[in-house]
Amino acid sequence: MSAAGLRCPGCGSSNIVDDDLYCQAQRVCVDCGSVVSEGSLADDPIGGSDVSYSRTTAVTKKPCLNLIKGLERVKEICRILRLSSEIEDLALTYFRQAYVHESFINVSLQRKELLAGCCVFVSCGQRDWPITLGTICCLLNADQTLVGGVYQEMMKVLNIQAPFINITDVIEAHIQEYKISAQHVPEELAEESEALTKRAVALVELAADSWIVTGRRLLPIMMAATYLAWQSLNPNKHRIRFPLSKFCQVAQVQKRTTATVRITELKQALCKLGRELPWIREAVTENNVVRLVEDILDHRHTLLARALKNHEKAKQDDCTQTDSSNPLTGEVAPSQLSESRDETANASSRVQPCPQNSRENPEGDVDDDHQGEDLEPNWGKRVLFAPPCVIHRKRRRVEQPVQNVTGDEEISDSEIDSYIRTPQEVRDFTLMQNMVSVSDSGKA
Amino acid sequence: MIMDDLALERYFDDSIANESSYIGEEELGLQSPQKQPHASSSKAQNSSQLSNGTSGKLGDDLDLSFLPDDLNNQSSSSTAAAATNQNAAPDALDDSGICLDNSLPDSGATELRQGTVDLGQESRASPFCPMTPMTPMTPMTPVTEKSGIIPQLQNIVSTINLGCPLDLKFIALQARNAEYNPKRFAAVIMRIREPRTTALIFSSGKMVCTGAKSEEQSRLAARKYARVVQKLGFPARFLDFKIQNMVASCDVCFPIRLEGLVLTHQQFSSYEPELFPGLIYRMVKPRIVLLIFVSGKVVLTGAKDRAEIYEAFENIYPILKGFRKQ
Repeated sequence: MSAAGLRCPGCGSSNIVDDDLYCQAQRVCVDCGSVVSEGSLADDPIGGSDVSYSRTTAVTKKPCLNLIKGLERVKEICRILRLSSEIEDLALTYFRQAYVHESFINVSLQRKELLAGCCVFVSCGQRDWPITLGTICCLLNADQTLVGGVYQEMMKVLNIQAPFINITDVIEAHIQEYKISAQHVPEELAEESEALTKRAVALVELAADSWIVTGRRLLPIMMAATYLAWQSLNPNKHRIRFPLSKFCQVAQVQKRTTATVRITELKQALCKLGRELPWIREAVTENNVVRLVEDILDHRHTLLARALKNHEKAKQDDCTQTDSSNPLTGEVAPSQLSESRDETANASSRVQPCPQNSRENPEGDVDDDHQGEDLEPNWGKRVLFAPPCVIHRKRRRVEQPVQNVTGDEEISDSEIDSYIRTPQEVRDFTLMQNMVSVSDSGKA
Repeated sequence: MIMDDLALERYFDDSIANESSYIGEEELGLQSPQKQPHASSSKAQNSSQLSNGTSGKLGDDLDLSFLPDDLNNQSSSSTAAAATNQNAAPDALDDSGICLDNSLPDSGATELRQGTVDLGQESRASPFCPMTPMTPMTPMTPVTEKSGIIPQLQNIVSTINLGCPLDLKFIALQARNAEYNPKRFAAVIMRIREPRTTALIFSSGKMVCTGAKSEEQSRLAARKYARVVQKLGFPARFLDFKIQNMVASCDVCFPIRLEGLVLTHQQFSSYEPELFPGLIYRMVKPRIVLLIFVSGKVVLTGAKDRAEIYEAFENIYPILKGFRKQ
């Protein structure tokens, strides 16, 4: 057959046929016999086919191997936590979505594993099955900061609403971890998880009311609540003396160091309420409050109301006492007050001192300030319950307030010169640098 | 999460409290002014605002039938007076509220001045005193006051262009207060004592100045750095000074239930106690990020202007008051 459109360069005839020489394609002119063109392998990409390697060799686009591994990891985590298939599917969807995003496609395998954990965490929260980020960290055996970073990044990528985890929802799951039931430990130490959960939930609610929970990590508070619940369910001498570290050993959980601080804070809050119990004769201290925990929790709300009322009354009595004892303070107080307010190293300044009086949380009268509070007026010391970070306020470095600066002042030459090295200094410095670099290279 | 009834009530009380604070305002103009479109109706007490013809808007919300007819005449004549007298400060009479200067007392004073001038125009003494607030027509909750707290600026970040390429090695050698470690960071870090600031100076001639506590201080500091670079022999200029970020903080002095806040303002808040103890509130208008802590301390950042910070704080304060421990 003849190839249309081609002309033989030799004789100009258009009678050209395909005449293959073995495997090589050739076009030969019938009249003069010259080869018009031959298919050469070297020319193939230019003139010939343009099919790329991936198109010819790949039959279908296979999913990335790491993506498959990641999905498997998600399923694994869901199985360990015994989550429903709905949560598992949601987690898998999120993982697929996040994985292909540019912030996660080229990261290390470790980060991809953390991403798997975070997807599970978010899915649980959204489907009303809250778990803590701490649990995920334990499962993945990763640092909480790293997990936190991946979690924030993932939330940005997926653009979904972060579910808020309420501590009372999570504590039941947390207590399941403790192997403290009758089958694991001897009788005198055992407690059933239902009773433990109920008591711990009440303690956690009390902690939340006393501002111990807000802003803090969940795990130490839950551990503290579990420990105190366990102690108070059977407050014999043995249990009260039982330290936290031993308790964690027995229950086979890892002890958190901040749990001890939380225990102290919780005990302090319990003491404040325990004092209001009308049938208690001796002083309520942190040592003997554990016995009273059951009573305190049963009558929590009444005790709280009484405590606040008594606190308010005590403060008012204080005020009237000092006012009557020292008549001068009445006049001194306002000036001292204005001074203390001016010197306040607080981050805010008040244009009008707002009398913030509410029924239940009295900030106290303005007169209170002169009671030895020559530092900033710490409202935390004046109320019954306040977040611990307010009660133990950090001392701030007092910075002198700078005078009004317009920004266009004259800049003195001497000041600028003080920032510039003299020629002698420059010489010395260069010399020293050379010496240091020589000695460094000598040592190395 | 399911909102309990109490939180729901508080949430609604909040939004109503917010609204009523715009309708009924107290008389002192010395508070930090609000740059809100609602503010126009709230400033109705001031005759200067009335003269703007916002009375039409007022009529929609409030029943003015008890006012004497004089008032309408007064407003119309004052408009002419205002127009001739106050052509210097047209922005102040804008619908959007008082023009915000950097210094609050000034704007307050201008407002008062305008008020008194307008009153002076009228020969008849109006029985209606423009300074007292009108009774709010929907007194669901008591009118919320301005907070009385002013956030203090803690840090200002600004950039300037010195306009000429710089030899960083030379600067690091010749200046006492400079450090330069090209392997770690490609800029000279220079510090001055007064105002206490730090600058990053790049070889392109661009500079970042951080650590100042006010806009003027930042500007002065940037000028000092430019002067140092000049003294070292470079033809440095002072171009394109721009404030990029302002950080402020303040204390509302009562504890805040962050859990409640994240439930009711879910679209704006992010609270993960496991990751960070504070609640991150991303306000939409103005575009400011607030870090709210349980102790009542609030950090505001992301502002390019002081007014944005004040506005953001005035927006968040009523919300926070709603989450005070009741």
